[in-house]
Amino acid sequence: MNKKATKKFRGFEIRLSGTGGQGLGLSGKMLAAALTSDGLHVAQSQSYEPTSRGGMSRSDLVVTEGIADYPLATALDYLLILDQRAMSISDGMIKKDAIVLVDEELVPDPPTGDFKVHALPLSKTAISLGNLRVTNVVSLGALIALANICSLATLEAAIERITPKKYARMNLDAVRAGYELVSS
Amino acid sequence: MSQMPQRQSLQGNQACALGAIAAGCRLFAGYPITPSSEVAERMSKELPRVEGVFVQMEDEIASMAAVLGSSMGGVKSMTATSGPGFSLKQEHIGYAALAEVPCVIINVMRGGPSTGMPTRPAQGDVMQARWGTHGDHPIIVVTPSSVQEIYQLTIRAFNLSETYRVPVIVLYDEAIGHLVDTVELPDPDSIEIQDRKWASGPAEGYLPYAADEDGVPPMPRPGDGYRTHTTGLTHLETGFPTQVPADVSRVIGRLLDKIERNRDAIEQYELTNCDDAEILVVAFGITARSSERAVNLARESGIKVGLMRPLTLWPFPERKMKELAGQVRHVLVPEMNAGQLILEIERLCPDSVTVSGINRFDGLPIDPGEVLDKIKEISK
Amino acid sequence: MSKLALNLKSLQKAGEKSDHKFEIRDYLRLDLFPHFLCPGCGHGIALRALLWAIHDLDIELDQLAVVSGIGCSGRLSAYIDANTFHTTHGRPIAFATGLKLARPDLHVVVITGDGDCLAIGGNHLIHAARRNLDITCIMLNNEVYGMTGGQVSPTTSLDRYTTTTPLGNQEPGFDACALAKGAGATFVGREVTLQTTALKNLMQEGLSHDGFSFIEVISDCTEIYGRKNELGSSPEMVLSQKRSILPKFDGTAVDKPFRAGNWDTGVLVREDRPEYYKAYRKHCHKVLGTAAVKK
Repeated sequence: MNKKATKKFRGFEIRLSGTGGQGLGLSGKMLAAALTSDGLHVAQSQSYEPTSRGGMSRSDLVVTEGIADYPLATALDYLLILDQRAMSISDGMIKKDAIVLVDEELVPDPPTGDFKVHALPLSKTAISLGNLRVTNVVSLGALIALANICSLATLEAAIERITPKKYARMNLDAVRAGYELVSS
Repeated sequence: MSQMPQRQSLQGNQACALGAIAAGCRLFAGYPITPSSEVAERMSKELPRVEGVFVQMEDEIASMAAVLGSSMGGVKSMTATSGPGFSLKQEHIGYAALAEVPCVIINVMRGGPSTGMPTRPAQGDVMQARWGTHGDHPIIVVTPSSVQEIYQLTIRAFNLSETYRVPVIVLYDEAIGHLVDTVELPDPDSIEIQDRKWASGPAEGYLPYAADEDGVPPMPRPGDGYRTHTTGLTHLETGFPTQVPADVSRVIGRLLDKIERNRDAIEQYELTNCDDAEILVVAFGITARSSERAVNLARESGIKVGLMRPLTLWPFPERKMKELAGQVRHVLVPEMNAGQLILEIERLCPDSVTVSGINRFDGLPIDPGEVLDKIKEISK
Repeated sequence: MSKLALNLKSLQKAGEKSDHKFEIRDYLRLDLFPHFLCPGCGHGIALRALLWAIHDLDIELDQLAVVSGIGCSGRLSAYIDANTFHTTHGRPIAFATGLKLARPDLHVVVITGDGDCLAIGGNHLIHAARRNLDITCIMLNNEVYGMTGGQVSPTTSLDRYTTTTPLGNQEPGFDACALAKGAGATFVGREVTLQTTALKNLMQEGLSHDGFSFIEVISDCTEIYGRKNELGSSPEMVLSQKRSILPKFDGTAVDKPFRAGNWDTGVLVREDRPEYYKAYRKHCHKVLGTAAVKK
């Protein structure tokens, strides 16, 4: 999409949502790093509640060509939901024709509307890789495959750049597994 | 600083810290408080690399005091805080104003009053930033509305503080402070840095508070042989206390005048689409960003609306505001408080201009749609 | 009559300056005299002892920074011909902390009072003691808020009358030295004003100590506190203070948080612990590597 940018390109908005502790801040950072390396401008914001573990959590990316006029999310083009309880925070914000990705187990009752919902075994895939905690990275792989917002190679490079060496392999496996959930 | 890549993702509060380092800040004294703590955290990492000092003091009051002690020792110094801490620092901000101690205070605004909503943005400290400490006093308040601008205005805050020997407050909301954005920081060597005027010449008969032409006295550096006295009591040019009415009028008058007479150099604002505007939006911080989008969208539907974004909140760009008020028929002031900046705007507008606000203080930013709806309503 | 008073008398004569002998006039801003202290106030004696100690240590006035707070003690800094900072109520230690961290080359001395240091500024005292930055803190204890007209302070003795304890004080008074010791001060000492040489020597030791040193001077407020409590003239007050000194420091009294009645005097604590600024800088260099640090 970024490469096909036309004059009409007004950018797009992504929200990664779930509960605190799911690593959505980190996956938002990974995705932002990938999009930034593609020459795009990314404004990231997230919830900063005192209950950083267990409470509702969101990580938003407003992606534009230059600096965004308004840097906070208002109308979501892409939405990830990793917890049923986090659904309500995006009420009324999902754009027509948006892509909504949900975990098929953690979000049994996904939102309905004028947008496309994809329910995928994200957490299950993470468990099969041996670590539930990489659900966030599996989700990223699936999201870019669905949304076509950046290439897998770009995201992989970004993940390698910002994850500590110790976890790099695990995250790279996770992002690829997520990507393949959609594209294979 | 030296190996910093040009283009990077940076958080507002971290940009503030990097701006301070680039401006020459070499001491930070602070106390943890949401949503400003990242400024302190980044300073604690950066300062040791430039032979500076980071100190986490025992409380908000002590951190402001330590900043002043350090600055009086000749070192550029800063603190960062939010609502409750900003309230606690006010006495020392007054000391800095009276004793003319350069210092920079970062206030990342959160919901108030009291403990309020620590993680939610607000713009409720507009008046406190101006009048938080008691008595008539000079102060400068700059207000950035993007991560990039936090960096730039933090540098400017130091420059203004050093130039006019006045406390400078960098006022922004949690939304901008916690925003991580793509920024391009300038090459540090290209940044214009101003240092305070230092006292020079004979120590004999030296008057520490005798001002130069610009209304600002050069500052004596401890160890340079001037051996002066600094006090929070109203003082003469000698630095020693006075209560003689004529003297008090003169010395306090100069303090206030050093900002007034330099307004043109201090005031800063940005205008968008104002040339033919019939409706003017005046907004700062995150609200200026919503307004920018709203103004752009309104323009697309043919409404003659412009945006004035003050970068110095105090002194407010008064002359420009008056000029624009003579051109437009309606001024809209969206702000995340119950109506503070609007008081200043109303003061500057003639009766023929209608001034209205959009106000919210529920912890949510005013979004572009809200501003657009109001613009449309006004334009009917 | 206090030694300071005697010296001030001698100021009127044209005295010859000596390179060795301590002449208080060399250290004062004489154009500010007469000073504002009440007759009989012990603060002047403390000021003289401090300047005498500075003289004997050959500390250059250009390199001396004196930071004071608010109250009678706070006004003393103005009389010293050094870099002087009359700051806010209770906060001179916090100002001094910033100053010393920014300018470790300066000798930084704090002059404070019992209200300034132990009530409104108590938090700064305990953290300065913990941090162990090289600051000499001299607390003049006259058991009362003199500047504001004689209100009860954190060191006012039991049953004493003040303008806010018209029926007699029932709050126990702090033992400031015990407090400083408990908070980790590496040098703690106390002296009464009558023993001027001992007081000067104590200050000299405190100034020489590398770390946070806390010195309590048992001063007297004859004019307000003394009068209200019928404690007699200044000589009577200082003599009674001298009589209340414990005959021999046995190391026990300083461990009680409240004043027990009698005073331990002299050096009460002397401990070797890394001075904070030096430790901070050394550690930063060690972790980062000296070469990585850009001045």
